[in-house]
Amino acid sequence: MTMIRVTAYENPKSIEEATTFLAKDTYVPIAGGTDVILELRNGMPVKLLDINNLKLNHVTSNKDNIEIGAACTHTQLASNPIVSQFVPLVGIAAGKVGSKQIRNRGTIGGNIVNASPCADTIPALLIYDAELVLLSKKGRRIARLDEFITSPYATIKRNDELLHSIICKKNNKTGYSYLKLGRRQAVNISRMTISVALDIDDDNAVIDACISAGSVFPVPSRMKDLEKFLRGEKIKPKLFKEAGKLAVDLMIKHSGYRWSTPYKEPVLAGLIERALMQASKGIVQDN
Amino acid sequence: METILNTNVEIKVGFKLNGLLYEKSIPANWTLLQLLRDGLGYYGTKCGCEIGECGACTVLLNGQAINSCLVLAPQIEGAEIWTIEGVADSINSLHPVQRIFIEYDAVHCGFCTPGMIMSTIALLLENSSPDENTIKTALAGNLCRCTGYVQIIEAVKKLSGIITEKDLEKFRYSE
Repeated sequence: MTMIRVTAYENPKSIEEATTFLAKDTYVPIAGGTDVILELRNGMPVKLLDINNLKLNHVTSNKDNIEIGAACTHTQLASNPIVSQFVPLVGIAAGKVGSKQIRNRGTIGGNIVNASPCADTIPALLIYDAELVLLSKKGRRIARLDEFITSPYATIKRNDELLHSIICKKNNKTGYSYLKLGRRQAVNISRMTISVALDIDDDNAVIDACISAGSVFPVPSRMKDLEKFLRGEKIKPKLFKEAGKLAVDLMIKHSGYRWSTPYKEPVLAGLIERALMQASKGIVQDN
Repeated sequence: METILNTNVEIKVGFKLNGLLYEKSIPANWTLLQLLRDGLGYYGTKCGCEIGECGACTVLLNGQAINSCLVLAPQIEGAEIWTIEGVADSINSLHPVQRIFIEYDAVHCGFCTPGMIMSTIALLLENSSPDENTIKTALAGNLCRCTGYVQIIEAVKKLSGIITEKDLEKFRYSE
């Protein structure tokens, strides 16, 4: 095992103090450390900035939005009543991250900043048009989550910036579904995740559809073309089958035909169909 | 130059381990697992994968199960930690979780056992009569390569009727 090398370790007690450190030098912020410590094992010397004492573990609600502190753990979000009422997909996704031990330690901010194509919480956050609050000595900046990740493991966050919180728009829909596919039920890296929120009127027609996917595109993304296709359509099994096919076309268009495509084609089509079916029945699904 | 790069800063941390207060100066690059084993000689906590997948290094940190291989030692400032060494009150009186694990043959080679027991205690702190699904979810992060899962799950199920608040109170964390 390669040695971790830590040449400085700072433990600021306020955001002001933390952003001062970030402005001065290149620090790696560390909260739960479940991703950061794995990266440190490559032996690169780093300066660490512990952000656990900045009180960034709040969940608050106002008229239109939910604000989630970047240092909220997955365990905290999976059982938070505000989250389950207003942004249920976020709570379900957080509850599916890794194992109990990882969820107790890992944070939603870390999941976002790590920017893995298969991050569990990002597709769920995209359904709620999440925006990120970034703080630095230069001030406060809001970035849209769908513009934040530029390629796998790369974001627009500057080194002097700290992810403070995530703002989700409340969008009350009639049904939701979150499906995570992995090699086993727990402690797995997602092979694919699908988040769906559907709004259906009394005549069984789709008023609105929000659909996002992880491990389908280079970065977790909404499937806007698929959402457009569904809007105004009457619910029937054939519609969901067609939606599955369209999702596959979108995947190949944006990710290219890769070595994993023959596997992902039928899997994506099947998951989209199943997720839409579940969401059309109004259930918040737990697989 | 290389010597400068290899210099790890030392950090002074105060923490509570198995009910005892410690204050130690430790290298900032140590994980909690290294601190426990190499720094303090508590070899009960096992080192398995070191990437947070096997759960052999599970300990309680402020009442929650965590992988000690994924916590940096400086981060435990002010924290309360319980390891397998602190579970029994004395060598002559095993904790009910330990007794039931033995009774149900839930210990095979034993390597996963300290982690399994710490995860079980964390589960019981949240829910003293968990159903099978809850048990499986709580222990999903602990691998048993002897594959003795059935006995482990049966043992934890049995505990729900036996465990009392008195058995758990010392592990409870209050800020």
